[in-house]
Amino acid sequence: MKVFSKIYLVLIFLLLYAPILVLIVFSFNEKGSFAAYTGVSLKWYRELFRDSTALDSLRNSLVLAVSSAAVATGIGTFAALGLDRMRLRWLKNSISAVTNIPMMNPDIVTGVSMMLLFVAVGGILQTDLTGFFSMLIAHITFSLPYVILSILPRFKQFDRSLREAAMDLGCTPAQSFFKIEFPHILPGIVTGFIMAFTLSLDDFVISHFVSSPDFVTLPLYIYNQTAHKVKYSMYALCTLIILAILVLLLLVNFVSGIGARGKRKKEIA
Amino acid sequence: MKKKLSLLERMAAVPHIVWIALFIVGPMLFVLYFAFTDKNNQFSFSNIGQLGNYSHIFLLSVLFALIATAVCLLIGYPLAYFMARSKPSTQRILMILLMLPMWVSLLIRTYSLLVLLDNGGLINSLLKAMGRKEPLKIIGTGFAVVLGMIYDFLPYMVLPIYTSISKLDNRYLEAAADLGCTPVGTIFRVVLPLTVPGILSGVTMVFVPSISTFYISQKLGGGKMELIGDTIERQFKQATANAYHVGAALSLVMMILILISTLIMNKISDGDEGGVLV
Amino acid sequence: MNQDVLIKLSGITKAFDGETVLDNMDLEIHDKEFVTLLGPSGCGKTTTLRIIGGFETPDAGDVFFDGERINDVPAYKRQVNTVFQRYALFPHLNVYDNVAFGLRLSHVPKAEIETRVKEMLEMTGLRGFEARKPSTLSGGQQQRVAIARALVNQPRVLLLDEPLGALDLKLRKDMQNELKRIQHATGITFIYVTHDQEEALSMSDTVVVMSRGKIQQIGTPTDIYNEPVNAFVADFIGESNILDGIMIADKQAKFAGQTFVCVDGGFEPNEPVDIVIRPEDVDVVPVEKGMLAGKVSSVTFKGDYYEIIVDIRGFKWMIETSDYVAPETTIGLSIDPDAIHVMKKSEYSGMFGDYSTFSEEMDHLSDPDAGQGAEEAAE
Repeated sequence: MKVFSKIYLVLIFLLLYAPILVLIVFSFNEKGSFAAYTGVSLKWYRELFRDSTALDSLRNSLVLAVSSAAVATGIGTFAALGLDRMRLRWLKNSISAVTNIPMMNPDIVTGVSMMLLFVAVGGILQTDLTGFFSMLIAHITFSLPYVILSILPRFKQFDRSLREAAMDLGCTPAQSFFKIEFPHILPGIVTGFIMAFTLSLDDFVISHFVSSPDFVTLPLYIYNQTAHKVKYSMYALCTLIILAILVLLLLVNFVSGIGARGKRKKEIA
Repeated sequence: MKKKLSLLERMAAVPHIVWIALFIVGPMLFVLYFAFTDKNNQFSFSNIGQLGNYSHIFLLSVLFALIATAVCLLIGYPLAYFMARSKPSTQRILMILLMLPMWVSLLIRTYSLLVLLDNGGLINSLLKAMGRKEPLKIIGTGFAVVLGMIYDFLPYMVLPIYTSISKLDNRYLEAAADLGCTPVGTIFRVVLPLTVPGILSGVTMVFVPSISTFYISQKLGGGKMELIGDTIERQFKQATANAYHVGAALSLVMMILILISTLIMNKISDGDEGGVLV
Repeated sequence: MNQDVLIKLSGITKAFDGETVLDNMDLEIHDKEFVTLLGPSGCGKTTTLRIIGGFETPDAGDVFFDGERINDVPAYKRQVNTVFQRYALFPHLNVYDNVAFGLRLSHVPKAEIETRVKEMLEMTGLRGFEARKPSTLSGGQQQRVAIARALVNQPRVLLLDEPLGALDLKLRKDMQNELKRIQHATGITFIYVTHDQEEALSMSDTVVVMSRGKIQQIGTPTDIYNEPVNAFVADFIGESNILDGIMIADKQAKFAGQTFVCVDGGFEPNEPVDIVIRPEDVDVVPVEKGMLAGKVSSVTFKGDYYEIIVDIRGFKWMIETSDYVAPETTIGLSIDPDAIHVMKKSEYSGMFGDYSTFSEEMDHLSDPDAGQGAEEAAE
């Protein structure tokens, strides 16, 4: 059983990584072909960095991700506060249900529905609404459920008696919120922001429907590039993205690992 | 005791409510509007009537998505189980290995598979070097599309199952052993039934993107495998404006289809939940 | 006596993360016996039970069952069943299926399963609960299901790991009686783990007192209470005043500055010893009639008696008396020879039995489930 499980794990993970590894290995191939590995070279990386649209799309992606995450986190934090204080059950439940629609729906449906909104309203206003702002709105909208999902439980976990204790000790309601409750919510807000940021960075399907050619993000750029002929500079780009994500994951894991170990030590002591 | 709420607390959710009304409910209403009007903006059932023409595409999509989901479950469950049963240090490494593909864009993952399987891809180059004349045609087959779905979405199946197995209290396994259950028997009698919620959420997380994909079928289907996602995408991105109406009708059907299956799933897991949350 | 030894542990040693939990332990358990493993959190009692159940393997030493070495026999092949701490009832199965779980695995015919499960539910007072899910039952009911689920398999031995820990006091008393009754009715050997000394004394045929991975004393409840072997056992079982003393000769003990007549012997002349005197064995008498005299430093009303702390030459004694005495008065104390219990010095000497720092709250804090989590974490 032990041996079998090890073999199984290794096998599946090998299969899962085989295509990615091939991509990485051949991104360094001098000759743009699988026929032969003619030597390690950074040729395709140089070509990639000469491509200004690639760099533009990266910048666009980051701008969009930061701004949509910031707005979504702002709206979402207040929404979580409001939902937590809300007493009308039906209203609370229906708001949650509507908020979660983009999470439940296939991305293509969310994308299409927003596209129809922008096209129809744009038609009435006689302007083209697609571009940065349409993408910003779309990204905020599909990030909101994730942001609220990471903040609302924090409000729920918060022990109300702590607030009462703070007021008992002389805090005004506002002071007790900012001194006691807010620090407790903060990790949820940070998580929400990070989730919104990564979701935005990663999104292709919804962006595909609400974008215009003058604001191209990285996934859209990759889509355009891979639509026709295989370009070897894409191998290089994909390799760089994969490596960046790997480094980030290791970093997060390392930091949280230290945190967890420190916590355990404290508990033992 | 009812505490008085401050104005801020009462108004905090208002921006959000306005936002979701404008950008979630609004777009949904437009889908409905377009689905039930013709190009002259007249109320019409003609779009719905045309849906019959797409039934074979619908069926193919459902079939592919079902196969991909089933295979993901069959491969993914043992994977999740073995992961959850390994040493904590190994688990951390395996988690990173599982998360990495999830964070890498779907486009890149699908593209890397194309690189591997294409006519001029690595496998065919190898076959050619070994003396095979005709390239092995993989791209453009249903097999390639389903393989793409499995490859792209397997981690989404493994993650929730892994979470529910690792949360499983070891006492249940000990109790089963105590009552004479062999380790393998314990998997079927105890572990599997207790991780149904994880299975259901894994199934949803694989089925929904599989049935609605268009990129996988475009790339790996070589333009020969049209799924419902492709049809919708084409109506909106490539065709003229009046195709929006049919596209909206198709989207509506897909939405309802997924809504129904989600409700069924919730029903199943709710029925079980009482037991799992002890 | 040796004939009916059912379980034998010999030289069992077990460590977790380098911390020794069981240290070269030997134990024999007889057929049809109600044995209780008693000790504070972390003493190794649960680990002992888990080794017998097959959930832990000892680092050294052997486990024998009916004369056969079973170290390598997996849990699912042992003729032993367990009532788990917090029950571990399968949440996806109803009461009937939980109880029938083991029988189905051993391929008992369907009709027989039905009669046996019904019988067992009857015996544990669970008739009518067949279709209920465990989550809908109260703690006491879940407890009964756990017992039924284990007993229905007719094991040779039933292991019970603090089974009453999660129940409230009243229910605990009822279940104690019930368990005793079930044990008599079935004739199955019970190995019972608890940290509650009262539970151990009232239920068991044999009590095994453990501390720091070692057995301190094995005996009947009366033996353990009346003849504790060392200061640890004397303090853990009931309240005790434990004093430094010297055995001048057989039946002559000197402590608290006086020489007393006692019933113990067999020590070296002038050997230093520990003297145990139970609070209820000391009589309060007028000063002139007392063997000892002391000043009352506190009096607590306990319902059917007063608990008083008396300062005798700097050592605080606890005494239980039915007559009220006022604080700050001086009283005389008298002790019968057979109330004086003499023990050899041990590693625990001087650690227990002085009430100078005694406080009920402290006692309460250090006793119950506070340490429970730590023990579980270690295991």
